Amino acid sequence: MSLTLRLAFYPRLHCVVRNVVTSCSKGATDTVVVPKSSGAPLIIQDKWKDDKGAVEGREAWVETLDNSTNSTQLGLIHLNPRIFASYPRLDIIHENVVWQKKSRMVNYAHTKHRSEVRGGGKKPWPQKGSGRSRHGSIRSPLWKGGGIVHGPRAFTTQFYMLPYHKRVRGLISTLSAKFAQDDIKIVENLDMPSDEAGYLEQLCEDRYWGPSVLFVDESDIMPRNITLATDTLGHMNLMPVYGLNVYSMLKHTTLVLTVGATRLMEEKLLYNLDRPDGRSLVTRFRK
Amino acid sequence: MASRGTEKALSLLSRLPRIELQNLKPNPGAKKNRTRGRGIHGGKTHGAGSKGSGQRQNFMRLGYETGNNPFYLRFPCQNYYKGHHLKVSYVPLCMGQLQKLIDTNRLRTDLPIDVTQLINTGLFNIKPLEKEGGFMLQDDGMDHFRATVNLEGMDHFRATVNLEVQWASEATIAAVERNGGVVTTAYYDPMALEAAVNPIPFFKRGKAIPRRMLPPQHLIDYYTDPKNRGYLADPKLVANERLKLAQKYGYPLADSAILKPTDAKLKEYYLA
Repeated sequence: MSLTLRLAFYPRLHCVVRNVVTSCSKGATDTVVVPKSSGAPLIIQDKWKDDKGAVEGREAWVETLDNSTNSTQLGLIHLNPRIFASYPRLDIIHENVVWQKKSRMVNYAHTKHRSEVRGGGKKPWPQKGSGRSRHGSIRSPLWKGGGIVHGPRAFTTQFYMLPYHKRVRGLISTLSAKFAQDDIKIVENLDMPSDEAGYLEQLCEDRYWGPSVLFVDESDIMPRNITLATDTLGHMNLMPVYGLNVYSMLKHTTLVLTVGATRLMEEKLLYNLDRPDGRSLVTRFRK
Repeated sequence: MASRGTEKALSLLSRLPRIELQNLKPNPGAKKNRTRGRGIHGGKTHGAGSKGSGQRQNFMRLGYETGNNPFYLRFPCQNYYKGHHLKVSYVPLCMGQLQKLIDTNRLRTDLPIDVTQLINTGLFNIKPLEKEGGFMLQDDGMDHFRATVNLEGMDHFRATVNLEVQWASEATIAAVERNGGVVTTAYYDPMALEAAVNPIPFFKRGKAIPRRMLPPQHLIDYYTDPKNRGYLADPKLVANERLKLAQKYGYPLADSAILKPTDAKLKEYYLA
């Protein structure tokens, strides 16, 4: 059983090319096209203008992993406040973490009860007349070397399913909390000029990221350089959006999202907040 | 959703230590330690006495709950529970909510809106087994599924609909008819309602679609009353009541387009 929340596929509306943002939305009013040569700042607009939330929209710098450029900050991205500035329900985050831990936990401890211990079929001595206490089996739990009552039995799992909306809420709360604590960084993409681990370590140190960093991209096919650079680093990991989960987000100090991953995540989570068949998901999970 | 509280919480969080796996904990009081359940309240015999019939045959007096305050003494007599097993409750459908369903394209106004259509929005659940008899049109605009609209729903109701519900008050009927709509109150017996609410399990049973039964005796009066737009009322009297209600609430009565079936088979079915 996968630990991650498999959200329903929802077609992407945004496609981000380097320094050119095109929106495939109906009105396409928020299309911002900034040619690279002009040097003008890139602003990636939020598509969800009709959001009724009272919280103001959030903004973040769009950075690059290329240290050779003049400025590592390429522009600004507008983030949806329903995902990045919702109420941080720490209790739901905790529930998600416990759920993730427990659902992978299997207890291998095993004890034998009286019928499983070898021997003990014969009555050790007659019921009466010997002056000793009555016993029917040498493997009774009262005996040394006898069976164990209510001992641990392998293999017991602690697997259970957290309600669907709690899983969604857990992801949103974690993203909001981490964003509020300045632990979410947005990068344009994961392209790097070098494939050395030292380059990435130095980059993270210069920008006060980490010590542990989780890089999240849209798909599970990542650029070659960052894959090689993180290969030997245990504390810097790569993850696609479909694998993103509360535990991993909290396990890593800093979360680095690509623009594409951010938009994909927003779309998936917004769909799940407002999905029309939400009631049908509130059913008891059966193993 | 969000509010000043959210902003406050987030700004507080930005000044607090980083949230990590190590410093998360559940809400105070949310976690309950397991108890073995032995020896509470004295253990031993739980009030059943020792030896004899009290312990072995369990000949305790009728209603005695071994030391608890017995059920028959626990509550004072409540007359309004009289006949509760016959009473039917209804799922509230507010005018503001109905308007929102139409505005957000969850309901089509070119079709008659009945139990099936409302259930298909995926926002309601009716439990016929728990004596729920369908939908009750309510005159408040308090939104039940998201409390964002706090308007008087009736005044803001602007849709022309052909509505069939199970219970409707005079004011809600006026709100619908003012916009040229039609309201009918119709009875669903539990079997028919179950089939309408959960059609897939019903069809899997392979039974014929049941005809809707007539209402029980205590509901006959309601559904034959033209004031309630009952489906068993005389259509001429209903037309008369429509006019009266329009005069009472002071709106011009529009000629409402009653949606009738066009299919020849359906026409024949309904004529029969």
